[in-house]
Amino acid sequence: MNALMLGQVVIHHRTSTCESRNGFCPSWIVDHFSEYLSPLLRHLELTVVAVVVGFAVAFGLGLLAHRRRWLIAPITGITGVLFTIPSLALFAVLITSPLGFGFVTGVIPLIIYTLQIIFRNVVAGLAGVPEEARDAARGMGMTARQLLWRVEVPLALPEIIAGVRIATVTTVALATLAFYAGAGGLGQQIETDIAFKSNIVLAGGLAVLLAFALDLLLLGTERAITPWRRSGA
Amino acid sequence: MNTPNTAQTEGPSGFPQAATLEFRGATKRYPGADRAAVDQLSLTVAAGEICVLVGPSGCGKTTAMRMVNRMIDITEGDILLDGHSVKERDPAELRREIGYAIQQIGLFPHLSVADNIGTVPKLLGRDKAWIRRRAGELLELVGLDAELAGRYPAQLSGGQRQRIGVARAIAANPPLLLMDEPFGAIDPINRERLQNEFLRLQAEIRKTIVFVTHDIDEAIKMGDRIAVMREGGHLVQYATPAELLTAPADAFVEDFVGPDRGLKRLALQPVGDAPLAPPSDGQVLTVRDDDVLRTALSKMLLAGTDSAAVADGDDTVVGTLTIAAIEQVLRGS
Repeated sequence: MNALMLGQVVIHHRTSTCESRNGFCPSWIVDHFSEYLSPLLRHLELTVVAVVVGFAVAFGLGLLAHRRRWLIAPITGITGVLFTIPSLALFAVLITSPLGFGFVTGVIPLIIYTLQIIFRNVVAGLAGVPEEARDAARGMGMTARQLLWRVEVPLALPEIIAGVRIATVTTVALATLAFYAGAGGLGQQIETDIAFKSNIVLAGGLAVLLAFALDLLLLGTERAITPWRRSGA
Repeated sequence: MNTPNTAQTEGPSGFPQAATLEFRGATKRYPGADRAAVDQLSLTVAAGEICVLVGPSGCGKTTAMRMVNRMIDITEGDILLDGHSVKERDPAELRREIGYAIQQIGLFPHLSVADNIGTVPKLLGRDKAWIRRRAGELLELVGLDAELAGRYPAQLSGGQRQRIGVARAIAANPPLLLMDEPFGAIDPINRERLQNEFLRLQAEIRKTIVFVTHDIDEAIKMGDRIAVMREGGHLVQYATPAELLTAPADAFVEDFVGPDRGLKRLALQPVGDAPLAPPSDGQVLTVRDDDVLRTALSKMLLAGTDSAAVADGDDTVVGTLTIAAIEQVLRGS
């Protein structure tokens, strides 16, 4: 694995004085910015795929556990144990599996780490729906399915989206390790020249900005789809 | 399943039909409980009447009401809506034909007032335009500004929410309405106003209504007939308010209606409906024929007289009210 990593390393040429002093060099950043776009895009890809798939799985499990309350404890337990597995160990295990190196291997642990957070928020959000709204819905003739999709899920949205936001920011951070599995991303750029400050600032800064941007996007989405919460008297 | 002709056949502004409701030995027994929650309840509510289920907490009144739309399953016996057993109906479809209003109202916080009102019409497949029009009509009917249609429940006062709860319950023009302490969470002054408004509304829409309350005064005020229940889900007496106050079936009902039942009884009847003597001269006091007897009695006691002239709306004296006539009313003759 080490040899393979080294094979990908490209040492940046350090010509100017700032760079040779290993300072923080804005001009270097401007010159090399374009090299970081493709890793940034890959990082975004890793994050979005992980959160979307993780959400689908956790939301499904959440709906299941909402109907069958006894499932909450075991699912929370299992996703909790998965959450505690060190990410590097998980990447290492998956690399030796038939999946080998690549995007899928990198994204699977990221998916796994989103489950616990999203699942918990889905369950808590659904459980937090006012009982009188539920009773009124049933009393007016909603079927269990209509109750779920027209009342419970919409009212649980703020909590569900809060979970997705935490999961997203966490995934952006964790995805910097996905390059161990050969999945690329900004982590790859950090590793490329880990001793060079400008590189760290640029690659790390982009990861932070990505997390920030995605969080804002989700916040905006939540505002847009929960108009009733803005108008509270 | 077919939609029976008791619901939904008229246009949005029509309130034509009301259903007859019959409890026939309806019983609810929970597994493991040593006595029934509702025990052999039998009573009939005529179409267009308000039947109030009243009793102390734990008497089974809410359970009895919730058995009607199968929110609670019937253990034994049956409940018939226009002669058809509710047990043979699909619960969700049955419920769409029965208006439902509860104490906590249960408006959906994420839906606008118009969409809340349109809940059942939407379940029945009405389109958006129909629902918007209907919401406007209903807001007017319950005395609210049509501008509220676009608001969310969090932006409304308690009284507004309660009215919208009623509007929502009647939105699909159901022939039967279930109301569980609908004014319970409202302060006394507004409650009185909402009760009066609701009675005016009922005079217009003439629904069959099952109304649950623990408050005997509310029961007397709202009910065409009152079913007094006691612990164990027993029906003790089913009678008109006047009958209940004049002739309580037993000590429990007598205690429940209160020691001032004579005065409550007099409050139900206008002077004009009492057995009046012909007009006579020399009366020191004049009461109006649309005063209730309690008011007239109070005035007579204050004036220290045992008879009073009765005047109608044109100030024409139409008769004489005597203490003896009031006693006659109280004795139920």
